[in-house]
Amino acid sequence: MKFVRKLQESIENHIDHNALCINNIFYTYKDFANEISKIRKAISNTIEDTEKLIGLVTNDDIQTYATIIALWLEGKAYVPVNPSTPVERNIRILELTEAKYIIDSSKESDYKDYVVIKSLVLQHTEINLKPKQVSEDQIAYILFTSGTTGQPKGVPITFSNVEALVDAVDAEPEFNLLPTDRCLQMFELTFDFSVVTYLFPFLSASCIYTIPKGAIKYFYIFKLIKEQKLTVLTMVPSIINYLRPYFPEINAPDVRYCSFGGGALHNDIAKEWSNCIPNCKIFNYYGPTEFTVYSGFYPYHKETHQKSHNGIISIGTPQKDALYLVVDEDNNEVPIGVTGELCLGGPQVTPGYWKNKERNAQSFFVRKENTIEQRYYKTGDLCFKDKEGDYQYVGRADFQVKIRGYRVELAEIEFHAKFISDKKVNMVALDIINSLGNAELGLAIESEEFDIKEIFEYMKTKMPDYMIPMHVRFIKEFPHSMNGKIDRKKLRTYFDIKNK
Amino acid sequence: MSKDEILSKVKEAFVSVLEHDNFQLTDETTADDVDGWESVTHMMIISEVEKIFNIKFKLMDLMNMNNVGDLIKTIESEL
Repeated sequence: MKFVRKLQESIENHIDHNALCINNIFYTYKDFANEISKIRKAISNTIEDTEKLIGLVTNDDIQTYATIIALWLEGKAYVPVNPSTPVERNIRILELTEAKYIIDSSKESDYKDYVVIKSLVLQHTEINLKPKQVSEDQIAYILFTSGTTGQPKGVPITFSNVEALVDAVDAEPEFNLLPTDRCLQMFELTFDFSVVTYLFPFLSASCIYTIPKGAIKYFYIFKLIKEQKLTVLTMVPSIINYLRPYFPEINAPDVRYCSFGGGALHNDIAKEWSNCIPNCKIFNYYGPTEFTVYSGFYPYHKETHQKSHNGIISIGTPQKDALYLVVDEDNNEVPIGVTGELCLGGPQVTPGYWKNKERNAQSFFVRKENTIEQRYYKTGDLCFKDKEGDYQYVGRADFQVKIRGYRVELAEIEFHAKFISDKKVNMVALDIINSLGNAELGLAIESEEFDIKEIFEYMKTKMPDYMIPMHVRFIKEFPHSMNGKIDRKKLRTYFDIKNK
Repeated sequence: MSKDEILSKVKEAFVSVLEHDNFQLTDETTADDVDGWESVTHMMIISEVEKIFNIKFKLMDLMNMNNVGDLIKTIESEL
């Protein structure tokens, strides 16, 4: 695979450069190459060739990043599990992928029933970054997102999907990382946005700066920008929403690129933020996990490029080889200016949800274009194309919401809450916008007040923390709309949350 | 305002954001010690504290705030 070979060259040719800064400690590409080589040797000594999907505990350390590269050099995929997520959910993910091996840099591993490679305590070995041959359809990683039935949903991404992403981003003349760049890597490795925040810096021999677990993310990012003079920021819009009250104190002339993704970017805040980073190009990226992170972007500029709809900045045009198609309910293309569901085609589309025939039948379809059978993924995002060819995000077609960039199916929260509750009452999970413009989760319960401690304790064993509702309201009778459905809009008004 | 008064008002801010009072606040208390205190709720707590004391924190101070003791010291310096 070309991108894996490029990774090898990038590391070998910049051995003295810094590769990672983790908790104020710098590691060079030589340190990185050493860790990769040790882990890869352990992989080839321990894991049989046929075993391709390997669990990876995503700690914030050099071993975890080195494991990703080591697995790729060995032609294997990583299945990341977050150590702060309930072990039960992680084990479910490992069961779904039938992974037998786990690479874990923790001092004590939680995964006693698996064969664990302890990446922290491996013997030194010679540097070997020569990639093994892989076939295009082999999987490079599988990420799990929230599913409506209480079961996480796996998205496998192949080596050729990643190759197509690298190819498309390389084709973009406006974005070129350099070995001197200092790049923010603020994402959990179970979140697909992380792929671009480690992969592109490593391909360019730049240095990535991570956020230690337990740090107050927003202030730590500012600290890195200020003290380490970061040059490249890749963020979800909620970061700047929370930093907004402090914009007058932020001046970061070193930042060259700032890419947003994973949620709607609003026009007013983008304008204010661009004043904090006066020498920076801003990219508003779009793309779901199912399309290998990015599918295209809009080049925002506070004076020349500020196209928006209802205050939300345009998502621009598809990148190289990506196909956008806006369809009606029968998957027929709608005319320019008409809102429909955005579908994505091209070499970055996942082969399909992991062992989930039913979902695959709903989410993918094939369309004959000229003589070619083109496969499309239905994003669930409502969009329209304007006369200039730019695409505009309008909203969601379903009950999926974005919490701090993470995709959350409200139905999954309701499923777990109702499952454990003794009282069989109606419960509705809602996204509520706080005063800073960010979505928080609320749980509305149709009942007199009762003790919900047990429900919450159960939910915490089933779902990651960002999926646990922060607000609960008991409502004697839910409001209903004209056609008898629960009126979610009205329900939201019961959540008089702080900082309004 | 005495330190105890400040602490009790700070606790009010925590309770109103976290929607529970199942914690003790001392100088050494950090986010690890209080259920629900993490990046997002921290921002809410800070904003609530600003409202209660009618002060405005500086980003530089917030950046180096590691525990409740630091928070109280910063409030004292702003009052």
